[in-house]
Amino acid sequence: MKLLTHNLLSSHVPGLRPGGGFPLRIEAAEVRVRPVPFNAAFVSRLVPRLRWDALREAAESLPPEPTPGYEADEEFLRRLHHVLLEVEVLEGSLQCPDSGRRFPISRGVPNLLLSEDEA
Amino acid sequence: MEHEATQLEKQHVHSVYENTAAYFSDLQTKAWPRVRNFLLEQKPGSLVVDIGCGTGKYLSVNSQVYNLGCDYCEGLVEIAKKKGDEVLVCDNLNLPFRDQCFNAVISIGVIHHFSTKQRRIKAIKEMARILTPGGQIMIYVWAMEQKNRHFEKQDVFVPWNKALCSRHFSESNQSGDKGEFVHSAKGQDIHPAQLVISECSYQNNLQPEADSKHPRSMDHCLPTACCMKISEEENRFYSALGRSFRSWFFSRSLDESALRKQSDKMKHLKREGVWANSAVPIQHSRHCSLDLGHHGALLNEQSLDDDDEVFVESLSLKKPQWSPATDALKDLSLNGGHPSAAQSKGDKASFINGPVEDKDCVCDCNKDGAGKSDASKFFKRTSTTDSTDSALDSALSVGEQTDAMLDTKAFMRYYHVFREGELSSLVEENVPELQILSSCYDHGNWCIIAERRG
Repeated sequence: MKLLTHNLLSSHVPGLRPGGGFPLRIEAAEVRVRPVPFNAAFVSRLVPRLRWDALREAAESLPPEPTPGYEADEEFLRRLHHVLLEVEVLEGSLQCPDSGRRFPISRGVPNLLLSEDEA
Repeated sequence: MEHEATQLEKQHVHSVYENTAAYFSDLQTKAWPRVRNFLLEQKPGSLVVDIGCGTGKYLSVNSQVYNLGCDYCEGLVEIAKKKGDEVLVCDNLNLPFRDQCFNAVISIGVIHHFSTKQRRIKAIKEMARILTPGGQIMIYVWAMEQKNRHFEKQDVFVPWNKALCSRHFSESNQSGDKGEFVHSAKGQDIHPAQLVISECSYQNNLQPEADSKHPRSMDHCLPTACCMKISEEENRFYSALGRSFRSWFFSRSLDESALRKQSDKMKHLKREGVWANSAVPIQHSRHCSLDLGHHGALLNEQSLDDDDEVFVESLSLKKPQWSPATDALKDLSLNGGHPSAAQSKGDKASFINGPVEDKDCVCDCNKDGAGKSDASKFFKRTSTTDSTDSALDSALSVGEQTDAMLDTKAFMRYYHVFREGELSSLVEENVPELQILSSCYDHGNWCIIAERRG
């Protein structure tokens, strides 16, 4: 699971407060870093889609906010690229911040199914 | 109803995919052109998700966008992961994504697996929820209207055939020799390698109801034979499945069952537009509700667990597996063949109706005279539409004909096939957040593209 994916995920346990369930807390038991070809335009376009605070929580190497002109800031984009696309959580879990419910990540694949009782 | 729906889908969608996932890695099907184009049209840097991605066929089409895939079936997702795709396991009805985060969503051959209208709506609404305003969704569902075959009802069970997914199968499609095929007779082992794919012409079976009483005089192959016309173009998983079906199992949809229950109680029933306008009559005797209890209609739980046994061995079904079904049918016939009465006992005593309909036999191959007569005898019995005893007859004849009938160890997968306009109406009437941009018919599927209103 890449951190970009994590940025899109939200807990869907029923009965959460509005806006609750995000971001899922990462508990990483095994992480791997794998190079991915860098594409500045691609990364740059992702910026507005991101929930920045959640991303920062996931990766503390980032600045407090994307600074204006980030599109041209290659160092920033590379760092962002690294965080979003090159870091993968292989084993661990994602915890719903409101309900505490944990979703496992196994072999890089998060399983977000709720049981029939829960849903 | 929700419980019944989830049980049905658990048994006849999820469990089937999970158990057959291993065979999918062999299956190299082309991405459908329209879907490819839709993906390629997305702007670079877009966030795109394939809901019901299976083995990730569409996740590498456009490398300029971020492709995420998800599926209910862990087995399929694992295969995609191995290919390097970014995937997760989740439920279409409860997507674990924040609102409005994707630029594009595709749903290719997925929502036809949902067994009630409400669930299909919910699936679409969930996908609309995660779309950013202006974002687009493409949905493909299996069409009721098919070129070469006729679905008599919209809710069908389709057997899955391992041969379709094996390497042997795809390699052996060189044979263009008409009429040459190997069919399985009783008691013989069938291995995918033995199935020679031949070119067959399919019945054009758009016969009106009335004619179905008359047994077909045309030759039919044994229902067990798997004959398919394979061309490069046709080598797609869904249409491949469609062509190979030798038998259709029709069930009363769960929506219909619920409606019948109500109408039995109430004089006035407000019927949803779809049902009121439906041209398909509710047939009493042949179409029985799916058994959702542990008398799983054709397969009991055991057979699903033991993959090897299911696929290597011959077709003979052991008698005991049939008894729950025939018991169920006895119940039915006692009740005058009205499934609703049986149903009121609560989920027991129902049965998938007489499986093979002559109109749906897919082949003209008729090498085996004996097979022919078996088949036509069988077809005769099940071809009547309105005799109330036919339900029991069907069950018995099916029971006797188990070996000859079909690859009964094949997993039965549930589909709700869509009529023309049904998908569009479903969206227009229930998902106001989406605006339909286009719709079309593509290789046996209804397809729509819709945009999230902003």
